[in-house]
Amino acid sequence: MNSSRTLAELSESTGIPARTIRFYIARGLLHGPVKSGRGAVYTAEHLARLEKIQQLQAEGHMLAEIAHLLAGGPPAHTAAPPSAWWQHVVDEDVMVFVRGDASPWRMKAIRLAVDEFASRLREQQTDQTRRKPE
Amino acid sequence: MSIETSFAPVAAATGAPVSLSMQRLWLTGQVLAAGARLVVEHVFRSDEDQALEAIYAFPLPRDAALRSFRISGEGFEAHSELKETAAAVEAYEDGVARGSLATLAREYADGVVNLTVGNIRPKETVTVRLEILCGVELRDDGFRFRFPFTLAPGYHARAKAASAASGEGEMELPAGEFGDVILPGFREDASALHQVGFDLTIASQLPLDEVGSPSHAVRVRQAADRPARVMLATEKDVPNRDLVLDARFQAVAPQVLAGRDQKGVGRFAAIVPSSSFGALQAAPRRVVILVDRSGSMQGAALAQARKAIEACLGALSETDSFGLVAFDDAVEELQGRLVPGTREWRERAHEFLAAIGARGGTELVNGFLAAAKMLEGGGGDVLILTDGQVFGTGQILAEARAAGVRLHCLGIGSASEDRFLTLLARETGGVSRFVTPRERVDLSAVDLFASIGRPLVSGLKAGGNIQPAPPPCVFAGTPVLLFGEADDAIELSWDGGQLKLPVAFENNGIAETVWLLQGARLIADWESRRQSTETPAPPLEKRQQDRVAGRLRALSQTYGLASREMSLVAVVTRSGDRLGELPQTRVVPVGMAQDTEFGAYFPAATSHGTMHAPAGPPAIAGCGMAAFSAPQAEAAPSASPADHRAVPMFERAMNLLTKPKRAMEPPADRDRLGETAEDFLLSLASRMDSDGGMPGENGEARALATAVAALAFLSQGHTPARGAFRSHVARLLKFLESLAGLTPRHQEAIAAVIELARKGAPPAGDWVALARVSTDRWKEVEEEVLGGGVSVRR
Repeated sequence: MNSSRTLAELSESTGIPARTIRFYIARGLLHGPVKSGRGAVYTAEHLARLEKIQQLQAEGHMLAEIAHLLAGGPPAHTAAPPSAWWQHVVDEDVMVFVRGDASPWRMKAIRLAVDEFASRLREQQTDQTRRKPE
Repeated sequence: MSIETSFAPVAAATGAPVSLSMQRLWLTGQVLAAGARLVVEHVFRSDEDQALEAIYAFPLPRDAALRSFRISGEGFEAHSELKETAAAVEAYEDGVARGSLATLAREYADGVVNLTVGNIRPKETVTVRLEILCGVELRDDGFRFRFPFTLAPGYHARAKAASAASGEGEMELPAGEFGDVILPGFREDASALHQVGFDLTIASQLPLDEVGSPSHAVRVRQAADRPARVMLATEKDVPNRDLVLDARFQAVAPQVLAGRDQKGVGRFAAIVPSSSFGALQAAPRRVVILVDRSGSMQGAALAQARKAIEACLGALSETDSFGLVAFDDAVEELQGRLVPGTREWRERAHEFLAAIGARGGTELVNGFLAAAKMLEGGGGDVLILTDGQVFGTGQILAEARAAGVRLHCLGIGSASEDRFLTLLARETGGVSRFVTPRERVDLSAVDLFASIGRPLVSGLKAGGNIQPAPPPCVFAGTPVLLFGEADDAIELSWDGGQLKLPVAFENNGIAETVWLLQGARLIADWESRRQSTETPAPPLEKRQQDRVAGRLRALSQTYGLASREMSLVAVVTRSGDRLGELPQTRVVPVGMAQDTEFGAYFPAATSHGTMHAPAGPPAIAGCGMAAFSAPQAEAAPSASPADHRAVPMFERAMNLLTKPKRAMEPPADRDRLGETAEDFLLSLASRMDSDGGMPGENGEARALATAVAALAFLSQGHTPARGAFRSHVARLLKFLESLAGLTPRHQEAIAAVIELARKGAPPAGDWVALARVSTDRWKEVEEEVLGGGVSVRR
């Protein structure tokens, strides 16, 4: 199989519009063509990289994050890159961790859920305390 | 740093000079009461060593369509062609691959346009002049023109947002729904961005009384019988808010702009003020007020909305019923049903509003579905106070149409979601207004509220070829805009009335303008029915969407205007074009919309410039139990020594989620002494009892307080028929009319106050000041209304 492609062919085989591919190159997500000018070509590596980007996007990563991961982010077998987490002590024996970089509305949704969780735990405990004397 | 460099654009992070791929955006053209015909000039310049591909993203104004563009530079000029979008993209890509200068103007969902200019050569300057048709916001007594100089970030449940170390926010929308649209970077500080400005003419058939701008410093040149000219007063400005221009007519009367086209067809745009349809009859109202409490409303917008709602509720009587709903990604109701407009319920509404702070996302649909449920069975209206900063509006519009309630929108924001809110109101049969957070949002709300809940006219129909169809209902204060063909007159009929407007043709090229404005309006209407969803649509829906796409293509071809289906493209072949050269792609950043909290959309920046916060050990930024056991308490993350860098980020994020900021307090509470007359009238309005009178210890005291309040409103130009507080004044008078058993002298004074108000004559004294002090003021009232209008002093 001939592995060199034009930008149009690369776009067709990945389903990513050519303008978007150029945008990725400018953002450092992808190397430029192997040869520029008349014979600008893209290789199987470009194809693989674009597929990787699509995969990471599907996993919910933003381009900035993908650029970081691809530009020497730690390989898969080591720990994930450091990130900050909220620690919510729900009860003496229960703790919930929430990633600190969620969007504000996601944070809000999580906070409501943790609230609910915490109050449910408290209710159960009160029930048990009430039942004890019987 | 030298003085020179401190004024040149520099990168905030590095202090290095910034090279801008777009340097200037300049707006020219003509604004009419029926719509605007604009030319937007974009100046691109490459400071790269290689070819540049610049992408500028902007939102369309209301009822807008792109017509064409002209691209020019040293030694060349070319005009755009209108092609089906797929073909236009192909032509653009072919041009770029050949090394030619190619330009594409393509519209995406939510009216976001990407203007892409490929292969600008190193050190080359290229200018793109884009012609845009758009609508204006009409009122009986004037109109408001709004043009977006920036794009506001918006809420979408699946949008992703981050902020880079440069202080630039990034937002990505799901590709399945939004295609390959590229959004700009959002700069908290817009001062180093491209410069914007404008030079517009405003023409009107009715003489203009006043032209001004609440958004920009403007210079206005107005002369009799000539269009007014409005220019930016400063040399340049920054792209962080919309341009808003207001024009007020000297009189309220119907206007018909008409001309004959080349084939001799008479084309017109008619503006028929609501007053042409008769006067408003009092009838019980059923209204639900829906307030957006999403994070982006934080600050002035929400504070203003709160005050506005309380004043609106003051206009309700005991026979009216109301509902109050606050929404973000959750919905909270004052009560799960409509309640009577009694004092008791208004007090409970006050408590409900006081507890509202701005927080999560903007799930508009949940909000109006809750409102629709309250109105079920009995009809009525919904008033939405929102910034409308959302993406995925096609879906929301579809849900709104299906909900079957009339939505009226009061948009609050400095960057335009005007297009969406206009459609949301119009598609459900309501009316909309859009104000900036630096204006009196409360007064606009009171004004809008006075006309909703009871249409002036229902079942409106127009004879002849009128497109789009007229709105089913007319509301006081908002005129009807009609486009169509006619030979001598326009005939309108409605339940219980009819109207015939003569058409006089002018010979000034107006036929083409009204034809284009009609096309832009029809395209905007059909685009609101165009949806793109990630999941494959069921066959019925797909057929429906194909029909909408087909209709849009046909409209684009008929009117020669771009739409989602048809785009504008131009390719300029020049000597020296280098085949296959890859241009450097740059996206033009825009300013974060003024008065919108950056942190409401973008998590705080980290030093790596990516989403990963460098928090040292991967955990434990202390957020104690306190934030959860007591939801009202401010989250106070205690810094553990290991992650001192991470804490400010959390503190900020959690503050945004949990703690109402001081800026959200109503301005009047902050500074009683700085209260304006309007502030005071608002507080009077919200104190009114549900029988229309002011509170007081006994009958005499109430009669006096009500008479003084009526005089205060009158002194500021609010009568039962005119002004934002017209429905409040009408209710005060009704109460005064119902009074009996006062002393003869007082009864006489009250009758005279009523008489004065009916005439709409302003009293002579400073009644706002008098109404502020709570002493016995019968004497002053008697002197004012019975003593021959003697002016009163405090």
